[in-house]
Amino acid sequence: MSLQQALEQWVALARPLGLNYAFVLDPAERAAFAHGLWVTLQLCLAAIPASLALGVLIAAGLTSGRRWLARLLAAFVEVTRNTPTLVQLYCAFLVLNMLISRKLEGGNPVSPFMWVVIVVALHKAVFHAEALRAGIEAVPAATLEAGRSLAFSRVQTLWRVQLPLAFRFALPALVNNLVDLVKMTAIASAIAVGDVTYESIMIWSQRDNVLELLLLILLYFFLLTWLVSAAGRWLEARLRMPGYGQ
Amino acid sequence: MASDIVLAARPAARRGLGRLARALISDPWALAALGLAALALYWSATGSAPEAARQLWHWWPGLLRGLGMNVRISLLAMALGTGLGLLVGALSLSPAGPMRALARLYVQAFRNAPILVLVYFTTYVFPFEIAIGGWSAPFEDWTKVVIGLALPASANVAEIFRGAVQSIPGAQWEAGLSLGYTRAQIYRAVVLPQCLRRMLAPWMNLYASITMSTSLASLVGVHDLVDTATVASNTVARTDFTVLIYFTLLAMFFAYCYPIARLTRHLERRYARH
Amino acid sequence: MPGTENGGPALVQLAGVHLAFGQTPVLNGIDLAVRRGEAVSIIGPSGSGKSTILRCLTGLLRPRRGEIRVNGVEVHRLRREAEFVALRKRVGFVFQQYNLFPHLSVLENVTAAPVRVGRMPRREAQALAMALLERVHMAHKARAYPGELSGGQQQRVAIARALAMSPELILFDEVTSALDPEMVGEVLTVIRDLVEDGMTCILVTHEMRFAEEVSNAVCFMEAGRIVEAGPPAQLFGAPRSARTRAFLQRSRGGPRQAVADPYDDYPSFDPLRLAV
Repeated sequence: MSLQQALEQWVALARPLGLNYAFVLDPAERAAFAHGLWVTLQLCLAAIPASLALGVLIAAGLTSGRRWLARLLAAFVEVTRNTPTLVQLYCAFLVLNMLISRKLEGGNPVSPFMWVVIVVALHKAVFHAEALRAGIEAVPAATLEAGRSLAFSRVQTLWRVQLPLAFRFALPALVNNLVDLVKMTAIASAIAVGDVTYESIMIWSQRDNVLELLLLILLYFFLLTWLVSAAGRWLEARLRMPGYGQ
Repeated sequence: MASDIVLAARPAARRGLGRLARALISDPWALAALGLAALALYWSATGSAPEAARQLWHWWPGLLRGLGMNVRISLLAMALGTGLGLLVGALSLSPAGPMRALARLYVQAFRNAPILVLVYFTTYVFPFEIAIGGWSAPFEDWTKVVIGLALPASANVAEIFRGAVQSIPGAQWEAGLSLGYTRAQIYRAVVLPQCLRRMLAPWMNLYASITMSTSLASLVGVHDLVDTATVASNTVARTDFTVLIYFTLLAMFFAYCYPIARLTRHLERRYARH
Repeated sequence: MPGTENGGPALVQLAGVHLAFGQTPVLNGIDLAVRRGEAVSIIGPSGSGKSTILRCLTGLLRPRRGEIRVNGVEVHRLRREAEFVALRKRVGFVFQQYNLFPHLSVLENVTAAPVRVGRMPRREAQALAMALLERVHMAHKARAYPGELSGGQQQRVAIARALAMSPELILFDEVTSALDPEMVGEVLTVIRDLVEDGMTCILVTHEMRFAEEVSNAVCFMEAGRIVEAGPPAQLFGAPRSARTRAFLQRSRGGPRQAVADPYDDYPSFDPLRLAV
């Protein structure tokens, strides 16, 4: 069965349910929607590692012991956690981006896509940092003392004992944050980045098939979040400490 | 005697106010807010405010109205979501397997859906007006957003409720049963009072997050704070005003959500002792 | 100075050691010497500062006053991290709560120090670790994780881990206090074997009968001071100080003291009778 036939079958099946999926038969709109799926995937693939890396840096800064750095980061953390991501995106794109464009006289290297990745990654990095910090503090002091008494240096105790345990403690929270991150990429549509939400808006403003498109978007996000959760569960199983906590 | 009462009352009031005042002075955010207020007073007193600030002052009532819309949406969404969420939470703890599965499906669906998509869903899929019999009323956009936000709120409340109930040690159930209580009595007398305490902090966190999600209403045409700011920015069309108003937007949400976060943390610490 | 009655060089020497946590004095002038190959037990009520002495010996705590020497190294003068690391390679420590690394298997716990600190090749370290685990009768659990083991098993692994760097001295900090009664024997057996093999040991313990059996000298500590010290027969049989007598009276009848023991009616515990 060719793709065209499969799609026609799908449209035919959906019609009696009151759902109009005719847009998939139009090559232009189909391509636009598929591109939207791809852009959303790219946003996730870019933002997930970026948020984790930034989260580790922020956590390191918060626990570094340098008061000015910790305070600055703490202020940043508070502002990011207590303001909407959409507003942060507007501030970054409508304000910072505009100022940068003015300064560089047209030749702004940062695209709207990159702004979305930066803002979403930073927003989630703050939550990652909190989870990592809680994980670091959850490592019992006695276990660290054991490492020191075995002649581990401070760096070795950090790297071999504290961080592996902190990461295991923080992992469920980190995975939750990443699921939130995937959902958050939908705000890219607010600044006309061509993700799946934006492309759908373009299509339904022509065809008025909002419900059908929203169902597809929901299915897609369910798939993405399921993938992230499954990856998290796999990692948790691999890093499991058998019998811990009993 | 009247003088005794006055003398007795004043030290107590000073203690309460003094402690609050001292707490405010030592907090950097409060100091920043005081600093801004002082700056605003100075500008209005000397009339030397820059143009952008004057425009901001002109738009200020509109911004406050917008914020009021956001707060209204968040309160209603939270109320609706809490009621619905407690029902679903109770369902998820029911002894009947199918009920539990249904509740789990509900929770998974609404926790894994982007809030923006749910808002679009309720805004565009619900009809323009509600017609029952001969009576019809316009189904306002902001009401649809309330429902759109109440759905993920309810899924989260259900999870919070389930988590709180399951965190009560099994030993307390055993103690209740051995005293001859029925399940319902144990719930009412032992489990729920403790759950309320354990649920408070996560519930407040959820409220803060719902409040921040109300900003999405601007994308479906509701005249909230973000929308007002965008309109203002386009109307005034000055670069410095645009910068100012968007950071004011940030500051206004912060001013509403940060005290809630602080209160939540304070409550967490207090109830962590139990 | 307790412990050097027969003369001869001391492996461990504490002289006039004072230590306080903030305003609370914990050690009020400790003088102690332990010769190579000796086993010295420290007994006394909770809060008397016994565990604090052990932590001073390995540099985990710094005394306010006094001198501490471990095999010639002046511990109270150590400043740089490298110096502490060098000291701790030669002193083993076994904790009351075992403190095994939960994310590593038993074998990895024991090879951790030789590989990371001693720079031993992994294969060689694993062979060494298996030999040590044999010695503590835990070789069959080499691939298990600490969470899957009982308290007694974990403590034996902890002893093997402390032995992995071939230390000259091992410190035992109330290593059986956190164990269920039926597991205490297996750990004490391992310690007895170590002492018989000639390892220098300092034990902080509540196991009076065990202390009497394996030690060359026993010290009774109270309120940060060593009240009395001497050979076990003398300290347990005919204590000179009234406070020692009072303490021994309180502890008589069971291996645990100070806490009211619900199993007071059970037959008294005897480590000599237990199978290996």
